[in-house]
Amino acid sequence: MPPRLVVKNLQSYFFTRTGLIKAVDDVSFTIDQGETLALVGESGCGKSMTALSLLRLLPEPGRIVGGEITLDGRDLLHLPDVEMRRIRGNDISMIFQEPMTSLNPVLRIGEQIAEVLRLHQGDTKQQALEQAAELLTQVGISDPGRRLRNYPHQLSGGQRQRIMIAIALACDPKLLIADEPTTALDVTIQAQIMDLLLELKQQRQMATLLISHDLGVVAGNADKLAVMYAGQIVEAGTVKKIFKNPLHPYTQGLLQCIPRLGQQQALPTIPGQLPDLREQLEGCLFLDRCSGPCAPCGHQLPKLEENEPNHWVRCWRY
Amino acid sequence: MTLLEVKNLRKSFRITDSLGRTSGQLVAVDNFSITLKQGETLGLVGESGCGKSTTGKLILKLLQPDVGQIFFNGDELTHLSSKQMRPYRRRMQMIFQDPFSSLNPRMTIGTILSEPLLIHRLAPPRQVRDRVIELLEKVGLTAEHEQRYPHEFSGGQRQRIGIARALAVEPQLIIADEPVSALDLSVQAQILNLLQGVQKEHDLSYLFIAHDLAVIEHVSDRIAVMYLGKIVELTSATELYKKPCHPYTEALLNAVPVPDPNHPRPTALAGEIPSPINPPGGCYFHPRCPYADNLCKQQEPQLLKISDEHQVACHHAEQVGRYLLQKNLAQEF
Repeated sequence: MPPRLVVKNLQSYFFTRTGLIKAVDDVSFTIDQGETLALVGESGCGKSMTALSLLRLLPEPGRIVGGEITLDGRDLLHLPDVEMRRIRGNDISMIFQEPMTSLNPVLRIGEQIAEVLRLHQGDTKQQALEQAAELLTQVGISDPGRRLRNYPHQLSGGQRQRIMIAIALACDPKLLIADEPTTALDVTIQAQIMDLLLELKQQRQMATLLISHDLGVVAGNADKLAVMYAGQIVEAGTVKKIFKNPLHPYTQGLLQCIPRLGQQQALPTIPGQLPDLREQLEGCLFLDRCSGPCAPCGHQLPKLEENEPNHWVRCWRY
Repeated sequence: MTLLEVKNLRKSFRITDSLGRTSGQLVAVDNFSITLKQGETLGLVGESGCGKSTTGKLILKLLQPDVGQIFFNGDELTHLSSKQMRPYRRRMQMIFQDPFSSLNPRMTIGTILSEPLLIHRLAPPRQVRDRVIELLEKVGLTAEHEQRYPHEFSGGQRQRIGIARALAVEPQLIIADEPVSALDLSVQAQILNLLQGVQKEHDLSYLFIAHDLAVIEHVSDRIAVMYLGKIVELTSATELYKKPCHPYTEALLNAVPVPDPNHPRPTALAGEIPSPINPPGGCYFHPRCPYADNLCKQQEPQLLKISDEHQVACHHAEQVGRYLLQKNLAQEF
């Protein structure tokens, strides 16, 4: 079966007054039905912009300038706006990091869930509210009848994130994008939400794009992993392979600098910082921070190449 | 030598309705006692609303406790006026979570760092600039950063400036409130190493407040775990992760996601954190606790010593560990 989502050579550029920023630069990946791909990287590496490109919701002055995105064989980049609006929320939904700001504070929970159902599935108000109550039960909220009449501020952070998940799943999407879904939550609540997402994914066989900076969350919840640096994928493959044998010096550095329980020695660090993407850099973007650069790194950008089956890396070492 | 001693601290806030009438009381911190030695790091860990930041503010006397005592170098600070507090303020500094909102955007880094030196008369005006540059270099920045404004820096660099500002007045105690939780992974490791480096150099004591148990465990000598305003367990960092004796500590350890795909997924603790305005009776943790029985519903456990270094508030401390996920946590790749 062909993959559910195919992203090929995606390029999203920002045309700012101070220069061109290649926020997403030649990014390719696929996600199968029922599979979770994690996009990992630090702030500014382009992981959220990749997600927004999938929805064609890039903020100004960003534009998708090249590449292909297909969902179940449908080309998303050349759909008319009206069609694209039907895809958003229906075929592709998104959960955001901050459940407080992504819910409307002056609308009751019930109205916010029902709105999606009425808009995309043409339900009547009554049908939509009944289905909303059903969804709340599925995302583990007790006493759904009462909760539907609550406002967002009456709920805790974890409950709000459950509501966001209910809204995202209302139309049974083919692809769920979860952008740092647990970053704002406490650690015991984080475990609950990740369990819920896993359970729902298995029930519905959704493809999931998980965006996270937390390698612990990624290790426990994703099948595949793509590490992004400065707008590019520098390493990709199955989670098992990358965690066992990280190839790119950036991935190696990231995995080493996490504090782990039971380990008190000094943390290795990655020296330096992200390059300024407004400067048009030549060669490998990680060069300045790399522990062992080799000859071609300074003038030629390495390609993302398959080093072993299901494991790709963008580095001249291999 | 004991630098800081805090005894039975309690702080409550009045809850008012929309007409300003008192409608309830929120006990943010209750019966909080710790000691902190020179050069030691005490970690304070807990989830949001557990009172860890309030505790930090109480110790700095940015909030006035309802009851309890605070001793610094043996001097009691509890009832000092803000003027009397001034000489002590120099000795206790704070580093904040958000490096974006804790620096004045209209001041250059040079001004930000020279202000405390001038206010506390720590350097003659002519030498202030040299001292500022020395501070910048100490935290890994350079003299050329002096004339720049905060917006020109990245999050990690701003946190370095926050550390330099705290160090400017040569403190003995630094209260670090979530100093790395807003930072990226690679930057987080740099800042943690910097904090540990300056601690050694200046024999500083840290009260390190964070919600991330892995970070806390990495930097602390001893750790206090808080739940709904109270310490539920206090012990050395190694003992805490090897042999937790409070079910909440056990649950926190189990919930930490381990960056290893072969490791079992974290087990979720049932339920939500109760509202501190209306806490459950008996042990505050009993509605979420897998060990809870009738005793826990009726009687609140006291924080008791189970060994020299280990205090815990649980009726069933000896049973805890049954649900602890077996982890080879320090395993290298």
